[in-house]
Amino acid sequence: MDIELSSEDLAFRDEVRAFFDENKIKDGEDYFSWRLGWFKKAREKGGWDVPKWPAKFGGPGWTPTQHYIWEQETARAAIPFDLPFGLGMLAPILMSYGTKEQQDRFMPDIRDRKVNWCQGYSEPGAGSDLANLKTKAVLSDDGTYYTVNGSKIWTTLAHVADWIFCLTRTDDSGIKQQGITFLLFPMKQEGIEVKPIITLGGSHTVNTVHFTDVKVPVENRIGEEGKGWTYAKGLLEHERTGLAGLSKSLVEVEQLKDNARSVKRGNGTLMDDSSYKSKVAELEIDLMATEYTELRSLANAAAGEELGPESSILKLKGTEIKQRIQKLTVEASGIYSAAWGDGGVGYPFAKGGTGGYLNSRYFTIYGGASEVQKDVIAKKVLGLTKGSKK
Amino acid sequence: MNFELSEEQKMIQQSVERFVQENYDLPKRVEISSKDPGYSKEYWGSMAELGWLGLPFEEKDGGFGGNQIDTLVIMEQFGKGLVLEPFIANVVLGGGAIQKGGSEELKKEMLPGLIEGSKQMTLAYAEQQSRFDLEDVATSARQEGDKFIINGQKSMVLNAESADHIVVVTRTSGGQVDEEGITLFLVDSNTKGIELQNFPTVDGLRASEITFDNVEVSSERMIGELGKGFDILRVVSNNAILAVCAEAVGAMEILYKDTVEYTQQREQFDHPLSDFQVLQHRMVDMFMEYEQCKSLLFRATMETIQDPVLAQRTIHALKHLIGKSGIFVGENAVQLHGGMGVTEELRIGHFFKRLLVIDSQFGNADFHLDKFTNF
Ligand SMILES: Cc1cc2nc3c(=O)[nH]c(=O)nc-3n(C[C@H](O)[C@H](O)[C@H](O)COP(=O)(O)OP(=O)(O)OC[C@H]3O[C@@H](n4cnc5c(N)ncnc54)[C@H](O)[C@@H]3O)c2cc1C
Ligand SMILES: Cc1cc2nc3c(=O)[nH]c(=O)nc-3n(C[C@H](O)[C@H](O)[C@H](O)COP(=O)(O)OP(=O)(O)OC[C@H]3O[C@@H](n4cnc5c(N)ncnc54)[C@H](O)[C@@H]3O)c2cc1C
Repeated sequence: MDIELSSEDLAFRDEVRAFFDENKIKDGEDYFSWRLGWFKKAREKGGWDVPKWPAKFGGPGWTPTQHYIWEQETARAAIPFDLPFGLGMLAPILMSYGTKEQQDRFMPDIRDRKVNWCQGYSEPGAGSDLANLKTKAVLSDDGTYYTVNGSKIWTTLAHVADWIFCLTRTDDSGIKQQGITFLLFPMKQEGIEVKPIITLGGSHTVNTVHFTDVKVPVENRIGEEGKGWTYAKGLLEHERTGLAGLSKSLVEVEQLKDNARSVKRGNGTLMDDSSYKSKVAELEIDLMATEYTELRSLANAAAGEELGPESSILKLKGTEIKQRIQKLTVEASGIYSAAWGDGGVGYPFAKGGTGGYLNSRYFTIYGGASEVQKDVIAKKVLGLTKGSKK
Repeated sequence: MNFELSEEQKMIQQSVERFVQENYDLPKRVEISSKDPGYSKEYWGSMAELGWLGLPFEEKDGGFGGNQIDTLVIMEQFGKGLVLEPFIANVVLGGGAIQKGGSEELKKEMLPGLIEGSKQMTLAYAEQQSRFDLEDVATSARQEGDKFIINGQKSMVLNAESADHIVVVTRTSGGQVDEEGITLFLVDSNTKGIELQNFPTVDGLRASEITFDNVEVSSERMIGELGKGFDILRVVSNNAILAVCAEAVGAMEILYKDTVEYTQQREQFDHPLSDFQVLQHRMVDMFMEYEQCKSLLFRATMETIQDPVLAQRTIHALKHLIGKSGIFVGENAVQLHGGMGVTEELRIGHFFKRLLVIDSQFGNADFHLDKFTNF
């Protein structure tokens, strides 16, 4: 065991920093053309536009340390936004279970950030119990297309998505996990209705989506009919690790301290306040440990071991940390935390801070609610199931 | 020792409870909140008619000679509907300052109108730099003959948009954080030099930043004695703490009960959520926090009536506990509702927001813990 970065790793870090530095957005430059240009240049670096994709599919084929360095640097750098749905969620499924045709058809547009995807899993009756989903897909008599009817809920960014990857039910005769079929189809078509859901922070990111007789060609089915659950499940673990967001939290904790230092208290600042200071310290300690839990998990992955239940630990700890950062921002805002909206009053960091905190409450709900994550650890790691007796 | 409400108080409790049930479902609240002036003038009129606005005031001033228990009874019920009408700004803050420190003339001028709902008031005390420290007052009032000239800025002033009179906390002598040298004035909102920046608050109410630019006020409008305003401010602030804590207890009751009900209806994994022990225990914790808050609220209120000075430590304890527990109950109500909990569609999110704001008013949990520790 050692934590020294090798000279290659250090050189890599410098290269990453230099790349970010050279490709910063310039004054007056159009954001969206800069964004696409940025990904193009990242691609020329050898797959830096798709860091998590394996080399076989055009990714950079980095070592875990390189991934770690990348994460650290991206958290600090001004790089363009990216969405996880196509790149981080659907693409791995296409790589594992898609046909060559499907890979060739969908992956280039995902890579070029041309097509926006949304994830149609949850339904009103299928949240934590995802396998309970009821959206029906019926195969036509000639076997060429499915007709989809039903409703999804909480579909993030469905209102701006071009395509959806969707879990549907093709058979309800067996246990819930069987008879689920994984379909891909365009969002902008007749029979699809998207309605906004406004969350506590006052923003619109999630939606309900209703399907009425939506026709989906069989070529758009991933893998076999009825096996969709298996394909989706492996992915949920990827999704969870992605949700921990540790390197971002590291940067945010520094920001939190700067904010607190800008709040004058007596002869000092809020960072001299003993309760506040202690809470920031406790947060930092948890973050330090979680960072190494993530590194241990990366190392396992590098050794070729499956991404396992650590992903649940990371999701649990990572999201809790993100929530605490938001809560401490609210506390630092003092009386101004009661002002609504980002046109508000008081310290610059207070604006929108309470909305951010309120929205952060869903970090422990989406991608597997915390209570359910703990069930996963209890079962898979501790070997505890109902009625299990030694 | 007796925890029974008087017959009159029970009647008030029932009538407020009925009022809230009949008039304050979520769609109605959202509608009222989104339109000017941010509360219902009709409801405000009814509250005046029912005599609620006069409860804590002395009979000679047109009130009913009640005390903090009467306010508790009203506020706890208000908390169950997240009532928007400016009861705290008028009755507890503005009216409270006049009642505590105002001359007989000022009382005669202001209180009857306030009690019958025709006059509106507020209290402007916090400032940008003061955070939660009541004694941190930079806004100055300089004497010129029989007038004072006020200059400075006040923050997060509740109900300022609707108030025709503002009680403003100023510094007339001493250093910026001295308790001595603070003086309260009653100013007309239309006075030249007063400027408001209005904005909505997280809980659907409204507040304002106010600047005072050479605002003239006659020395007859002084509330209490020159330089002795802090004592009035402290009493008013303590009463406001009791009032918002009673409201918080009402809100917490709704949150834990709604959660118990929701988890019994919502099924996942072929069970109602309420079958899962981890959720049962969480709801037990929420319930216990609510009960504990209620106990400390009763304690602080009764101690205040007996001896407000001795009660100070308990008031700090109360505001600390309400801040911490209110957020615990709010966060867990949301968590146990899953995705539904983070939407604007269910009322729990709105109750959670109110509890969050209550923690930021009159000192948050950390602030009062520190005061308690160093008492
Ligand atoms: C902001 C946001 C974005 C989302 N984006 C998407 C998206 O893009 N696509 C998509 O498909 N879905 C999305 N979701 C849905 C998300 O995955 C679900 O909200 C989540 O799975 C929880 O389901 P639920 O909301 O129905 O809560 P429920 O399953 O009803 O859970 C309610 C509460 O009960 C607890 N609970 C449930 N079962 C158990 C048990 N067995 N034991 C103990 N406790 C239990 C939960 O932990 C939770 O606290 C999103 C959700 C949110 C809030
Ligand atoms: C110092 C001491 C003095 C005592 N004095 C007396 C006495 O005078 N007379 C007498 O009769 N007994 C006495 N007891 C016994 C005491 O009442 C039992 O210890 C107690 O009821 C718990 O039983 P247990 O020790 O068998 O633990 P268990 O019942 O085995 O419990 C072990 C753990 O499992 C948890 N658990 C059990 N069931 C559940 C469930 N359904 N859901 C969730 N968690 C659960 C418990 O909370 C506990 O944490 C005493 C015990 C102690 C330690």
